[in-house]
Amino acid sequence: MRRLFLGTGAIAVSAAIGFVVLTVWPIGATPSPELANLTGDVNRGAYLARASGCIACHTNPEGGAPLAGGVELDTPFGTVYSPNLTTDPEQGIGNWTVEQFAVAVRQGISPAGEPYYPAFTYSFYADFTDQEVADLWAAFQTLPAVETPSRAPEMAFPFNQRAGLKLWRALFQFDPLTEPVEGKSDSWNRGKWLVEGATHCAACHTTRNLLGGRKVATAKFAGSDMLPGGGKAPPIDTTSLVQEGWDAGSLAYALKTGITPSGDAFGNAMGEVVLFGTQFLSTEDLDAMAEYLMDQP
Amino acid sequence: MKTTNVTLVLLASITAGVALAHSGATGVVKERMDGMAAMQKAVKAVTPIMRGQVEYDADAVRSFAAAVEMHSGEAMTKLFPEGTGGKPSEAKDQVWSDWEEFESLAMNLETLGKTLSEAANNGLAVQASGGTSGSMMGTGNMMGSGTMMGGNSAMGGMMGQSSDGMMDADMLASMPADMLFTRISQTCSACHSKYRLESN
Repeated sequence: MRRLFLGTGAIAVSAAIGFVVLTVWPIGATPSPELANLTGDVNRGAYLARASGCIACHTNPEGGAPLAGGVELDTPFGTVYSPNLTTDPEQGIGNWTVEQFAVAVRQGISPAGEPYYPAFTYSFYADFTDQEVADLWAAFQTLPAVETPSRAPEMAFPFNQRAGLKLWRALFQFDPLTEPVEGKSDSWNRGKWLVEGATHCAACHTTRNLLGGRKVATAKFAGSDMLPGGGKAPPIDTTSLVQEGWDAGSLAYALKTGITPSGDAFGNAMGEVVLFGTQFLSTEDLDAMAEYLMDQP
Repeated sequence: MKTTNVTLVLLASITAGVALAHSGATGVVKERMDGMAAMQKAVKAVTPIMRGQVEYDADAVRSFAAAVEMHSGEAMTKLFPEGTGGKPSEAKDQVWSDWEEFESLAMNLETLGKTLSEAANNGLAVQASGGTSGSMMGTGNMMGSGTMMGGNSAMGGMMGQSSDGMMDADMLASMPADMLFTRISQTCSACHSKYRLESN
């Protein structure tokens, strides 16, 4: 009994120490001083915001103002609500600096220094250049302030302890695989940048483990049944795509129109991806994504 | 003799059971599934034309448009009476809790079908598939408005489908057939996203 008590005590003490360590563990880095001097291009930023799913995930489809947040995501760990990204100083990001914006987008850390829940797919944006961040920032500055309140996440213990996310980040946060490959065409490399980065296909199409970490080494693009809300995403490795009757042409066309090779039209999460995101991409970019997906390394 | 009869009855009911499981649905649920399947088949048949993979055929486009018209609008909504959700139907409960929007998507589809049959002679905007639209900024919808908020086109695009209401019938009817077809398919997708359960 005494031993059990001691054991429990030891666990509690080490848990407490661990918690303190996690809380003070610094994350994130300061963006380069160049960033503030860059002039962003609103059109390029809006285009990148489309491609990256900002508009899809931060616009409530039930009549919410664009980018005012409020989309509910049910995860196995609790519920998160996409926050307001308009220029409202209270509820939105109107008080932010471009540096804070850069750290949030590329590193997933709030201006208060807290890690975001990975429902925000920041890890796919880690390779955005300063110029791309400046473009996004310029585009977001054009949004009128909307007062829709940002809603706090409702996570179960221990997932409501944000400090724990640092551990999660150390284990499961991966750099995007956006690096160009020599010998491949420009369009293939552009497709790689879009698929592996901005458009973050792997967020849904890569299998996740019990803690919600992506199994990038063993099950990249192998499909997932752990989508928010309990949805499923099919495998999209090249072999599976070929088996399902896709080719580059039909894939690019589907990202524009939602039409699959069987004549069906996408529904659920993929329907939203097309409607709020990929349909607005240029023909070249859709072709590039398809080229890469049908010829994955 | 009696045994044979029993066996026959058993066999018959097993067969019926299997048939039921295969088709799954009966009555109005089956009817609406058949309507959807007919449109799916029509989409598949006309897609190569719209993608510019085969020669343009206005008659084929008109017969596609007719199929859409036949299975959309009220013809579609009347097959969704209240209380017909649940297995084997693939309709989400939102069809009924959010009826107005569901109905407006169905009506929208009918309008687009009608318009496409009038616009079938307009041909395609882009002959042959493959990169043609210039720079990365080339495609209209989003960029037309300059900002993320911008004009109605960006708003409509963001909401998936509502932009059709902002165009009058003549404007729609002057659009190239493939652009109308894209609007049709996106309407299908918008409706599936909101109102169709994920298939297994």
